[in-house]
Amino acid sequence: MTMALPSLDARRAEAGEQFRALGVPHRRIEQWKYTDLRGALGDARIEDEGSASWNIENLPAGIELFDLSDAGAPEWVSRNLGATRDGAMDAASLAFARHGLALRIRHAISEPVRLELSGEGHLRVMVLLEKNANLTLIESGSAADFRNVGTEFMLEEGAALSHVHVTPGSHEAVQVETISVYLRRNALYRAHFANFGAKLSRADVHVKLEGEGARAELSGVSVLPNGHADVTTHVEHAVGDTKSTQLFKYVAGGKSRAVYQGKITVADGANGSDSRQTAKGLLLEDRAEIDLKPELEILADDVKCAHGAAVGDLDAESLFYLRTRGISEREARALLMRAFLEDAVAQIEGEDSRAEIWRAVEAALAKADAA
Amino acid sequence: MMLEIKNLHVTVDGKEILKGLSLSVNAGEMHAIMGPNGSGKSTLSYALAGRDGYEITNGRILYNGEDLTAMKPEERAAKGIFLAMQYPVEIPGVTTMNFLKTALNAQRRARGESEYDAVTVLKRVREKAGLLKVSEEMLKRALNVGFSGGEKKRLEILQMALFEPSLAILDETDSGLDIDALKLVAEGVNALRSPERAMLVITHYQRLLDYVVPDRVHVLSAGRIVREGGKELAKELEAKGYEQIVKDAA
Repeated sequence: MTMALPSLDARRAEAGEQFRALGVPHRRIEQWKYTDLRGALGDARIEDEGSASWNIENLPAGIELFDLSDAGAPEWVSRNLGATRDGAMDAASLAFARHGLALRIRHAISEPVRLELSGEGHLRVMVLLEKNANLTLIESGSAADFRNVGTEFMLEEGAALSHVHVTPGSHEAVQVETISVYLRRNALYRAHFANFGAKLSRADVHVKLEGEGARAELSGVSVLPNGHADVTTHVEHAVGDTKSTQLFKYVAGGKSRAVYQGKITVADGANGSDSRQTAKGLLLEDRAEIDLKPELEILADDVKCAHGAAVGDLDAESLFYLRTRGISEREARALLMRAFLEDAVAQIEGEDSRAEIWRAVEAALAKADAA
Repeated sequence: MMLEIKNLHVTVDGKEILKGLSLSVNAGEMHAIMGPNGSGKSTLSYALAGRDGYEITNGRILYNGEDLTAMKPEERAAKGIFLAMQYPVEIPGVTTMNFLKTALNAQRRARGESEYDAVTVLKRVREKAGLLKVSEEMLKRALNVGFSGGEKKRLEILQMALFEPSLAILDETDSGLDIDALKLVAEGVNALRSPERAMLVITHYQRLLDYVVPDRVHVLSAGRIVREGGKELAKELEAKGYEQIVKDAA
């Protein structure tokens, strides 16, 4: 069933109007309470397309790539790009981005794709995984100022996407990304969000489990020596027999602010849905802040939904125990912080990716605990 | 003299718990400190290990003639002081084996010795693990997570065997153990008795002392040693109860 869509240009124009009607999100909007984007941007002209660009060092064979700045989008791009909208910032990226890329995967690709984003302004990313296709996508890149990315992942039946999303530490970056994921029957989206603190950063992840047997496994670690990190997830169980997990761990030092908002929606009739969410924070300093906000909206009867959120300090009892074993206070703190993050990092698929994130985590922990 | 505690006063949360405790232990000796709940037994073990918040307001702790009072817990450990805890902590996310390696090498580093590689640590741990029935599977699990009370205490004694301290303090190592576990732990402790090593066994009950026989027994009450004697004092305590012994001593 293909619905007739307006042309890409018409969709872009409509998105522009949508953005102007909604405006830049600010802290009086409930979902942006802890992340005042308007405050961070000030009077910056955000409708400029900017210099934002992307790079893939080595594109593995078997992947079709379309550069969105080129003319003549193929049918698989024009049919899917921006077909639905996910809030003001997603609309802005669709309306104003002139650069970006679309990938089409039709088989299992064993080699990871490393997507490096750079520059400021708006970018658009689309990845289409066709039936039973398989991909690992590692996305990273800091910004010197404001960058807004709108990303769509479409997973057809039996497709699997493993996504590692890294936000490197930065004092200047205001990074916003809206990630919309659509999963058909038996598709799997695994994602890990590693964030090391920007001036302001927000990853808005919206996962729609639209086919039976579809699964989403979301995890993340944020280690903030300073700055701000917000990962907001919304998992929609649109049909039954779908599964999702969310495991997020935060370590906040300095004057940082770490935010996790996790919404789970189970649609009417989506019986047999299974969802588990855990969010935990570790505060290293009194001046740091961690905001964890779980939200459940369950309209079906027969579902499994569990969630838990907790914020605490490093356990004094454990620290003392380790020190009596000869481990210095500094090393003991590092050991406990690592241990705290362990299960979330363990969610990352691939030993190389895990090791890479551990290195970044350890460097950030050392900075966060330096005070 | 390996350990010399002189007129020790310790305050916790503004409340004085130890009120002039004095005690001497020679190398090669095992001393038992017995006392009812609230007498200051755990405070003594924490003060010896250097826990934050256990403020020494008066008196001194000398270890091989050196004043410990200002020393950090990790410095004391590197100098050969080991505390087997009443409630060993659970640390999810750190495997027991990795913990043992980290601790052993931290102590070695602090003493200016070379670090052991993973293979050497594993070999040394295995040498000690047999007697204490600490399985390979336990070593792979997260530290103390899901361990039974007996398993936790056996792991404490395994650490003592591995670190080879010159002064070992066993804080209520017998609590929460059934008779089989108690015997196993006692065997582990006895195997570590040596002319170079002193041990301080802190306990509420006499039953551990049936298997681990002390050279001296001290009775602690309200923050002071109120009576001292040989191993037979433990039996007397068991027969008469703390109340009577404390009353007699007054």
